[in-house]
Amino acid sequence: MSKPKLELVALRKEYDNGAVVAVDDIDLTISAGETIALLGSSGCGKSTTLNMIVGLEQPTSGDIHVDGQSVVKIPAGKRNIGLVFQDYAVFTSMTVYKNLAFGLEIRKKPRREISKAVFEVAELLGITERLKIPARELGGSELQRVAIGRTLVTKPDILLLDEPLSNLEAESRLAMRRELRRLQQEIGLTIIYVTHDQIEALSLANKIAVMNAGKIVQVELTTEICRRPGHVFVAGFLGSPPMNLFQGRFKHHADQLYFEHGVFSLNLSSTLNLVSIPSGRVILGVGPESLRLVSPGSGDASGLVSRVETMGSERVITVEIGGQAVHILDSAAVLPPRTEEAVDIAFDLNTLHIFDADSNLRIDLHETKVDHCEPAN
Amino acid sequence: MTEPKKLTRLQAIILLVALILTLFPIFWIVMTAIKPPTDWNASPAIWIPSEPTLINFKTLFDPDAIRAYGVGGVSQAATSAVIGSIIASVTATLLSVSIGLFSAIGISRYAKNSKWTPLVILSGRMFIPAAIAVPFVIIFSNIGLTDTYTGLIAIYVAITLPFSTWMLKSFVDDLPREIEEAAMIDGKSRLAAHLTVTIPLIKGGLFATTMFIFILNWSEFLFALVLSYSNINTIPVQLAKYVTATAGTLYGVQAALAVLAMLPLIVVGYFIQSHLARGMTFGAIKQ
Repeated sequence: MSKPKLELVALRKEYDNGAVVAVDDIDLTISAGETIALLGSSGCGKSTTLNMIVGLEQPTSGDIHVDGQSVVKIPAGKRNIGLVFQDYAVFTSMTVYKNLAFGLEIRKKPRREISKAVFEVAELLGITERLKIPARELGGSELQRVAIGRTLVTKPDILLLDEPLSNLEAESRLAMRRELRRLQQEIGLTIIYVTHDQIEALSLANKIAVMNAGKIVQVELTTEICRRPGHVFVAGFLGSPPMNLFQGRFKHHADQLYFEHGVFSLNLSSTLNLVSIPSGRVILGVGPESLRLVSPGSGDASGLVSRVETMGSERVITVEIGGQAVHILDSAAVLPPRTEEAVDIAFDLNTLHIFDADSNLRIDLHETKVDHCEPAN
Repeated sequence: MTEPKKLTRLQAIILLVALILTLFPIFWIVMTAIKPPTDWNASPAIWIPSEPTLINFKTLFDPDAIRAYGVGGVSQAATSAVIGSIIASVTATLLSVSIGLFSAIGISRYAKNSKWTPLVILSGRMFIPAAIAVPFVIIFSNIGLTDTYTGLIAIYVAITLPFSTWMLKSFVDDLPREIEEAAMIDGKSRLAAHLTVTIPLIKGGLFATTMFIFILNWSEFLFALVLSYSNINTIPVQLAKYVTATAGTLYGVQAALAVLAMLPLIVVGYFIQSHLARGMTFGAIKQ
């Protein structure tokens, strides 16, 4: 199977004569055999991007290259790119077999070849025994298998998955996620996986491209993106609960370096070894797991507990600090604080993230000089 | 499935009254159709004839048959009216639904932001039919379309097209557009995707719409009356012809033709009863 590389070059999609910009000049390169997740909240332009890649929508400007060749002028059916829809888009008036055979019949493949391919894909997806029944009799996860199978049977160069698991119940979703991971390993396709679910993105993709308001704000390896968010949006989007973000400024005082928030101040001299520090406003990112409750008077900041939520073995404690809700991830095993209780919080100074408040980009902490970290490409 | 709610006594009484009001004319027509001429106008009224007869039905196709009862003159057999109704209704229905189907797909899939489309389509239904009948007669006589099936079919298509378009649009709207996009990704053209995927998936709605439009055409009276003279005839027009100057109103014969005309509608109505509300409300009510 060929493994093309896909490139999006300044890809843009406008609606209503430019009044709405759904996709805003995005650039993205995907290597052959790679699985990349387009992650973002609803309406950020993920599905529009997929529709342009597959050929259902024409870009307003920009280009799409597959194996170095522009495919913008090639109709959807001739790009050899498969798309699995969120709503399955299974032809319920046909049997499962007819659904799987549909794409090959259009391509006028010999009947024996179609039958062989359909049985192979049905075997791969575990739906061989359902081939003769009408698709309308299938349940959610089976419909999703048929939708994936119908795409796989045509042996696409690139497989696009548009929130394929979001209509499934939790149990089926876990099973399908395992299934997709297995397929990905067995077939080795180039896959673009659109989702708003970061767990899905983190568990299925090699790389994640985070989208916001039509732009790609960061593209990073899955193993790296949580450790080194390159943009404030990414820091505030990933994680459950996501990173706490505090606006403030760096200040030197008596040879010590402080982060001055309106309500608290952190001495960062032992953590940061910056030759020059940014003079403007910065945003300090602190993961909820990097904060802990400490005995009164011994913490870095004080606040009032506003909510305590236990989720299995973990607990999320929300503390109001200067009008800002700060989330702390704690073990459910320890005794929880009461709401309205005054508490102190200690920061783990070794796991801080700093962003420029104007550009929203990451400032690398452990360099000898201040360096704006451009989003990786 | 949810358990049907039990009716209260008051609801049951209201429903019963409504049912009697609705079914009484049908009962009366059927009874009149099998009454001999002496019973048609009897006073006091005869509800159920003591000597039922099929003479009224026979008179429909043999105008002189009724003379045996001393009733004179039905000048024309109803055969041409039945044939005319079948020609006009079937052809106009097929055309209306075919054009309406592609209009519906067009509006549903490609005119999402056109807020004037519903108004433009429905505007044809906003006129009182009598108000547009006269201009149509003048225009049609100028272009030689009066007293022709072509003219009658053209006007039937024009007046039922808003119904067929809007009713079919509601069925296409229910279908996720991804289903057609999936077919396009598999290699179908846009048109082929609609032909092979959209239309088979709304065939239930297509059938219901066809039947509904057929009912409208089959029972249309005003345009058939003003556009027909001697070459064409339809059942509703023939019904009016049984009000004669010489022999008075031939109630029994009229009722017999009405019963015959009703039969296909009852059969059709039985099959599309769940969709009828959708047609009446231009697709606003979903099943």
